[in-house]
Amino acid sequence: MPGTVRIALGVGVAVVLAAALAACGSSKTTTSGAATANSNPANANNGAGGKRGGILKVVTNEDAQHLDPGLAYFTIDYEYTYATQRPLFSYKPNDQTNPVADLAAGPPQISADNKTVTVHIRPGVHFSPPVNREVTTADVAYAIERGFNPHVANPYIGVYYGNVVGADKANGGPLAGIKTPDKYTIVFSLTKPTGGLLAAAFVLPVSAPVPKEYAQKFDAHTPSDYGNYQVATGPYKLQSDASGKVIGIGYQPGKHITLVRNPNWSAATDYRPAYLDGVDWSIGVPPEIAGRQALTGTHIVDGDTPTATIVKLAYQRYRSQIFFSPGSGNRYVALNTQVPPFNNVNLRKAVFAAMNRKQMGTVRGGLLVATPATHFIYPGLSGFEEAGGIAGPGYDFTTSPTGNMAVATAYMKKAGYPSGRYTGAKPLVVVGSTGAPADQDAQIVNQTLQNLGFQTNLKLVDQSVMYGTFCGTPKLKVNVCPNVAWGRDFADPQTVLAPTFEGSAITQTNNQNWPQLNDPAINAAMEKAKLLNGTAARAQAWGKIDDMVTATAAAVPWSWDNQANVYSKDTMCVNALYNTGPCDFSFSSLK
Amino acid sequence: MGRYIIRRLLWALVLLVLVIALTFAIFYLLPSADPAQLRAGRNATAQNIADIRHNLGLDKPVYVQFWDYLKAVVLHFDLGYSYQSDASVKSLILDRLPATVSLAAGAIVIWMLVGIPVGVISAVRRRSLLDRAAMTVALIGVSVPVFWLGLVLLYLFAADIGKFPLLPGANTYVPLTSDPVKWLTSLIMPWFVLAASSAAVYARLLRGSLIETMQEDYIRTARAKGLLERTVVMRHGLRSALTPLVTVMGLDIGVLLGGALLTETVFNVPGIGRLNYEAIVHSDYPIIQGTVLVAAIFIILANIAVDIVYAFLDPRVRYS
Repeated sequence: MPGTVRIALGVGVAVVLAAALAACGSSKTTTSGAATANSNPANANNGAGGKRGGILKVVTNEDAQHLDPGLAYFTIDYEYTYATQRPLFSYKPNDQTNPVADLAAGPPQISADNKTVTVHIRPGVHFSPPVNREVTTADVAYAIERGFNPHVANPYIGVYYGNVVGADKANGGPLAGIKTPDKYTIVFSLTKPTGGLLAAAFVLPVSAPVPKEYAQKFDAHTPSDYGNYQVATGPYKLQSDASGKVIGIGYQPGKHITLVRNPNWSAATDYRPAYLDGVDWSIGVPPEIAGRQALTGTHIVDGDTPTATIVKLAYQRYRSQIFFSPGSGNRYVALNTQVPPFNNVNLRKAVFAAMNRKQMGTVRGGLLVATPATHFIYPGLSGFEEAGGIAGPGYDFTTSPTGNMAVATAYMKKAGYPSGRYTGAKPLVVVGSTGAPADQDAQIVNQTLQNLGFQTNLKLVDQSVMYGTFCGTPKLKVNVCPNVAWGRDFADPQTVLAPTFEGSAITQTNNQNWPQLNDPAINAAMEKAKLLNGTAARAQAWGKIDDMVTATAAAVPWSWDNQANVYSKDTMCVNALYNTGPCDFSFSSLK
Repeated sequence: MGRYIIRRLLWALVLLVLVIALTFAIFYLLPSADPAQLRAGRNATAQNIADIRHNLGLDKPVYVQFWDYLKAVVLHFDLGYSYQSDASVKSLILDRLPATVSLAAGAIVIWMLVGIPVGVISAVRRRSLLDRAAMTVALIGVSVPVFWLGLVLLYLFAADIGKFPLLPGANTYVPLTSDPVKWLTSLIMPWFVLAASSAAVYARLLRGSLIETMQEDYIRTARAKGLLERTVVMRHGLRSALTPLVTVMGLDIGVLLGGALLTETVFNVPGIGRLNYEAIVHSDYPIIQGTVLVAAIFIILANIAVDIVYAFLDPRVRYS
């Protein structure tokens, strides 16, 4: 049967192709934004005087990750979530530090013992069709409680709401620590005095109200598909049919997102001007094309990270159409402190001193997109100045952004290598990410290690595999992860330091304390700082902790990212600084 | 012939089960990101990830997952739900299929319209300037990467970003049913890009095959009978020379209907190839499995069709 062989071959080709692609995975080029022109938060547009009407076109290569406001936790997710949902508090687009009351009617009231937080919400806010009714605090309570529902599995709910009374046993049902004495008041009772952090976390989308009577049938599914049938409280909603179905209508996976006006939104209850009539969002546009369409087209914004080529083109020829959003995260090289040789602090300091951090930033696009970092709390977060500001803590191994081999050699000698070079025989396992410029940064780190005498075994894998399989799995004993990065959840420095450097954050899977730093003094300082209330006190304490972490040289910070964002010249893009700078749909307008 | 086709279809079912099993094995054996972790995102606890793994059914033994999947496919043609969007995989594939079929059909027409005449002329006027020029162009067509050619065409001719804005560029595809004119114009560049390499391959293949055929005894007999050279070439030579082309075309059509990944990606045509690629990036196994299965079905059907066409093209071919 001659055809069978051909069929088998044909099928084989299909399967092998799928397998090869599966093995390759993806790579994401991320060039972030700038330190010079058009990057000062003070110059960020506040959107005032925008023209009403029109449809804004958005182009991205990336798809949405989670539609459900109880799960949204990604830059692109936030772009539509903050236009369609109203959490208790949120940031105005040109202020990434000070949250304002959104669904809430005023500031949160934190008790003197820091264990009770009370919030009053505005009357007159309504859900979009088909629910239509007024929002009450019971909807806020349900939104938070469903975060604990295993069918929803919100990833940060335990981090910020874990001290609410009853949260330790929560599975989606009512929490003893959340009370709604009337329909406009909600009270959170905590087991520990962490009210300040809880109040700050209200800016995350999980506090956006969800109507229980409508959502619970979706939440009963495994997994919950409420996101595909969600209702809105913001000025826009994902387009839906009369039953509320969004999937296949307002959201076509991998193809399209359509935002339309929420007919039940009232401007009187909101601080958002909401100039646009809607948003027409195309997914899957190649990054090079998306950037060019935004720069040369009409009423288009690139909702993704533009490529280095687009950033260069925009900076040279379309300077008014690019904005570099400061405070977009940090990048660092993690050195595994739990296994030899980097359980030796002096070896870590030698690597820190030798690293040409400026060159690593240069391959990402230079100062425009990567401010050379000297510590971990980055600009735009409270605690940045307390941790040393731009200059950093001033340790001898941190001061030279281009690397200082004399200092490195001195630390090699202190570490027990009199020649100034490492003489151990076992090669280091270095796992980096594929795709430019991450692979080039990994190569720079690898070369630096070799310059100090280390033998290395460099593996470059897809970013998700790097995090999920290698750097996030302590038992694999990866020595160096050169491409790790972190961004804040909100303006509190705890959200940057605790998940990444606290001993208790070390987990056997999905570990994010990549250096596996478990320093008792730092752990104790964090425990104490978590209980503080007040921005100034917390900034002081976490700034000190940042200094302590930097002193361990467990990781080598090399970039404070400035995320680039490009848009058409006839678009008044109001950059959402809290979300690394894409245009805020609720404030942007068409010229 | 009827029994032959039935036998082939039965074999096809066996092959499809094998494809499902192989894809399953590849997904579990090769290093790829954990879909539960990807869905969970950063800050997720081990419990979060375990919950998600349970929600997605990934905590069941592999053989149970395989059996459940197989049962659903066979009994209901239920391809499961996307890990990423919770959308039905069957609906996603059906949603993407028209774009892929549009792209494939147009490209096939173009490459046949270009490849066959060029191949015939090159074979008939062997070693002429025309032959050499055609084969040089064909060589370039084969060698140029699809994504590069696509980007160059966009930078040159796309209405939005091109130097000579003539045609709709990337991200302009509309379904045939909503606007036939826009559908046609939006696909002109993708069709040419997709057709370029195949037209070149077909021209070279046909040239070689026709040159060989034209040396057969029956061609000499035809000429001796005094038939016009055009009749000898077109009626006697070409018919036989097309047989290897049909074989390749069968495979090509099957593969194309499984998705033209690069062309779909460059021009943002929302077809099955792009769906598959996105699924691979997100370790969205149900979509990977569904798209591979669909591609395999197309390849198998195309090959059965090829075998049937053989019998019409070449009277010597008989199936029993």
